[in-house]
Amino acid sequence: MAVEQPTQPTLGDQIYDKLFHNYVWRSIFRTGYPNTPRNQMLVVATNVFLHLHPTRIHRTHVKITHTYCLGGLTFFMFLGLTVTGILLMFYYVPSVDRAYLDIQNIQTNVQFGQLMRNMHRWMAHAMVILVFLHMLRVFYTGAYKPPREFNWVVGVVLLVLTFLLSFTGYLLPWDQLAFWAITVGTNIAGSAPVLGPKTRFWLLGGFEVGPDALIRFYTLHVIGLPLLAAIFMAVHFWRIRRDGGLARPL
Amino acid sequence: MATVVVARPAARPTPRARDEEVLVWPDLVFVEFISAMLFTVLLFVLSYVMNAPLLDEANANVTNDPAKAPWYLLNLQELLLHMNAALAGIVVPTVWLIVLMVFPYFDRSTDGQGRWFADVNSVKNTVVSFNVGMWGTLALIIWNSGKAALWAKDWFGFSGGSTLAFLERSAALKDPSVVPWPGWADSIPYLWFNLKILDEGPGAGVTTFQKIDLPTLLVDIGIPTGFMVGFSCLLIFFFWRINWVHTRRDALITLMSGFVGVFLMLTVIGTAFRGPGQDLIWPWDLRTLEGIPGQE
Ligand code: HEM
Repeated sequence: MAVEQPTQPTLGDQIYDKLFHNYVWRSIFRTGYPNTPRNQMLVVATNVFLHLHPTRIHRTHVKITHTYCLGGLTFFMFLGLTVTGILLMFYYVPSVDRAYLDIQNIQTNVQFGQLMRNMHRWMAHAMVILVFLHMLRVFYTGAYKPPREFNWVVGVVLLVLTFLLSFTGYLLPWDQLAFWAITVGTNIAGSAPVLGPKTRFWLLGGFEVGPDALIRFYTLHVIGLPLLAAIFMAVHFWRIRRDGGLARPL
Repeated sequence: MATVVVARPAARPTPRARDEEVLVWPDLVFVEFISAMLFTVLLFVLSYVMNAPLLDEANANVTNDPAKAPWYLLNLQELLLHMNAALAGIVVPTVWLIVLMVFPYFDRSTDGQGRWFADVNSVKNTVVSFNVGMWGTLALIIWNSGKAALWAKDWFGFSGGSTLAFLERSAALKDPSVVPWPGWADSIPYLWFNLKILDEGPGAGVTTFQKIDLPTLLVDIGIPTGFMVGFSCLLIFFFWRINWVHTRRDALITLMSGFVGVFLMLTVIGTAFRGPGQDLIWPWDLRTLEGIPGQE
């Protein structure tokens, strides 16, 4: 009777072993690939990036057609915008003398500068579209109903913050498109009775779009609004867990 | 014997059915990963073929015509052409955002949650409301731009003259030759003291609502508000009569779908069909449109 003999490890096995079972790798990832349900749950529960998720979810919610990943993708755009935005900040100075030249410089002299600027711009547009579609998905699946009322309200705040983030960024290239868009945009705010002119003055730091407006928009764009948005997103995600995961028929 | 009454939340998360659940790793994490990768690739490709626009350096002395807000505000800019500025720019968006936030407090039943559309009627309801919103908006824009009257004249030789000028644009109603407004109508005093609130800077002074301008009030605020509120209520009422709207959720579906149609049409018109002087033109006659390759 032939007994199966243990085989010699192949070259591939040896390389795999050297790569993933060494001292350094193990210091970062304490366990191997989680291939039992228990370990898979542990990974999600203990990994800092994954632990916003529950460890298990209802099976209807992994169907693409339930959420179309829209909320997740909105968040992903936010992350991508942060990365590309930081890269742009290396080269951009928000002063009326330099802003436009810096953008030109980014496009012509900086390695991958044009690509970074394009990515930042298109991701910003994508985020506005995605957040709107996400809101529609939530609405048409009736997911705003109790107990998720407050998370819907948090969502509306996030919608406004997304618009504001995009709007403040629009001025920064300091070209004609930016200048007149913000002039028109802030004129809309200024048309309010009583409070309008004051609001416009506070937004622009003056009566028209100029150096003070640029620095205000810049500061709001790179720190004020992202910080606020991050806080509201944290609440948004936490509330999803607290409300018992995504909505499903009772 | 004391009974402790504990406040109960209005609704609570339901107990889980374990056997209906899947593990987040791998099922969800992989879906998230793949969609993130897909979008990364897509955006890289887009960024490779299409450059972000950069026009000439900002110059306060050279007006960009048409001067346009970012595209997601062009719906408001379009509204601005048809009504009182504060109504279009401030009141409408603010009220709508508040209405949005109030949705879940108005419709408190938990029926039909977590499912796409509540029932068959909701789909019909959505599609029809969306289309009514969209094409209704288009019709109103064309009417108020005077185009309808122009076409009627060009094609049928029909012209209403000045008495029918309100068929060209609502603003004509303010004209005393169209509507016989009495002389006092455009400055009705209602305050016996000078009102000055928070205004400073250029043009500051006694505020403009010191006196009531009745024709302007009616035409720039009354008519548009009537259309916006009236049409929404009318549509919901009509759907209620034909049994498409039974619950509060159904009414919200009508409202939301109609809004999406209106929003879309306003944005599209504002973005692609408004040229110099905010005149209605065809998109191919438009020069600077953001995101068209070769035009930036
Ligand atoms: C920056 C903006 C936003 C981000 C990053 C975000 C992110 C998310 C994510 C990742 C989810 C999980 C399910 C999914 O992907 O659909 C979610 C769910 C949800 N979102 Fe958002 N969201 C944003 C804006 C909004 C807005 C504008 C609304 C509504 C007005 C909203 C209301 C909700 C609600 C009610 C849920 C729970 C859905 C359910 O239980 O099925 N969110 N959000």
